[in-house]
Amino acid sequence: MRRTLKRLMRALAVTLLIAMPAAAQQVTLERDSPLYAEPRLESAQVSQLKQGASGEVIGKQGAWLNLKTTGGSGWLFSFNVRFQSQKAEGGDAGGSALGRVFGPRQNVNVTAAIGIRGLDEQDLKQASFSDSQMKLLDGYAASKQAAEDGARATGLAPEKVDYLGAKK
Amino acid sequence: MSRAFKPWIVAIAFAAASWQSGAASLDLGRIFDIGKDVTDATKGMDEKDEIAVGREVAGRMLGAASLVPDPGLQSYVNRVGRWVASQTERPDLPWHFGVIDSTSINAFAAPGGYILITRGLYEILDGEAQLAGVLGHEIGHVVRRHHITVMQKSAAISAGARAAQGNRNQLVNNLIGTGAEVMARGLDKGAEFEADQIGIILAARAGYSPYGLIEVLHKLSARAGDDASLALLFKTHPNPGERLSQLGEALAPRLSTLPSGKEPVIRQVSADVPAAAANPAPAAGARALQQEEPAAPPRPAGKSGIGIDPAGVLRGIFGR
Repeated sequence: MRRTLKRLMRALAVTLLIAMPAAAQQVTLERDSPLYAEPRLESAQVSQLKQGASGEVIGKQGAWLNLKTTGGSGWLFSFNVRFQSQKAEGGDAGGSALGRVFGPRQNVNVTAAIGIRGLDEQDLKQASFSDSQMKLLDGYAASKQAAEDGARATGLAPEKVDYLGAKK
Repeated sequence: MSRAFKPWIVAIAFAAASWQSGAASLDLGRIFDIGKDVTDATKGMDEKDEIAVGREVAGRMLGAASLVPDPGLQSYVNRVGRWVASQTERPDLPWHFGVIDSTSINAFAAPGGYILITRGLYEILDGEAQLAGVLGHEIGHVVRRHHITVMQKSAAISAGARAAQGNRNQLVNNLIGTGAEVMARGLDKGAEFEADQIGIILAARAGYSPYGLIEVLHKLSARAGDDASLALLFKTHPNPGERLSQLGEALAPRLSTLPSGKEPVIRQVSADVPAAAANPAPAAGARALQQEEPAAPPRPAGKSGIGIDPAGVLRGIFGR
């Protein structure tokens, strides 16, 4: 009964989240950056944005963000912007808001409530080895083959990609 | 592994603890003739030994925060992690992955392939590509042996090797006594930036969108600096904005050649699992200490505690 109630509550929370109108995602330019007509470097430049300028994110593609600014709309590298703090949204500062840009998950669990604390340095320093937890950890380990089977079932295929800068 | 440590394991663990403490307040290398000692201390450290160190560290970590009691979730994270790890030069390490029950936003890697991610971090992820990016970063630390490499460069291992010839308390006292905080912040940042780059490439190799890690860094960058769940992160590591800038520079020349990859849906924590523990259960002794000394100011990292500091040996994406 209690479990059913919990599920209902979660379903309600999910419904509320989905129903919530997506707030405009405001970003600020971290550095001067060209705004491109399409999400590729070879495309035409719409304008040149200055550091500190702001805009609204209306889409994304790979490393590119589609931005609406007073000077027009276009694409730029996501590295060149910073999302404005979303703390006002509650405990999940930034997380759920950015979720709307980066593909919202259906069930955002707000954990940063008052009175709840996480793992801190002292916890780590003072902890002792847990045999039982390590046995569990061992039990969950996946073989290479099982991992590959799982990946293939998800539609993933390996790609040949070199390391950046190839510093070995 | 036998719970009795080889002396050098203790030395390395403590060297790491000191290294992680942040500022380089003392260059032991200028005090000791470290070159020879460092070589001696790490000679003969093979993969088996590396795994032994990591296992001890992971076990202590799990003593501080248990695994989320959701076998389906844990198996899932292991499949994703192992698939990403299979794209590295060390595919046959005994890779272990776990989600620990903590509201903190963090992830940790210990030598030998032990990787733990907090539930707090897991729950802000929006897709499997983001998980792959985070795990890829941690895997990067392991693959490149950042713990070992950086420690070899630090003089702390020398002090540890000397001290390890005595008993364990002697070792601790020696390290504390010399204030062995030797690892320069710059090196630490360098390891993080490198792991970021590796994480992106490993995700791409595994068939995911390479940009999951970048999305996670954006999320963190947007979170307020006073967010308690990120305290350890902001204290010890380059800020997410700086990491994004570094990644941008490194990635820019390659953007057009990277595969776009897939963005599968991420598995949710089971609805039957209660919310993350309000207080991860530290060892009984630790609890007692907390009760006795409620007003005690936090002790400087790397200068306190008896025993191996798991936080010190762990390399994290957002913390240690």
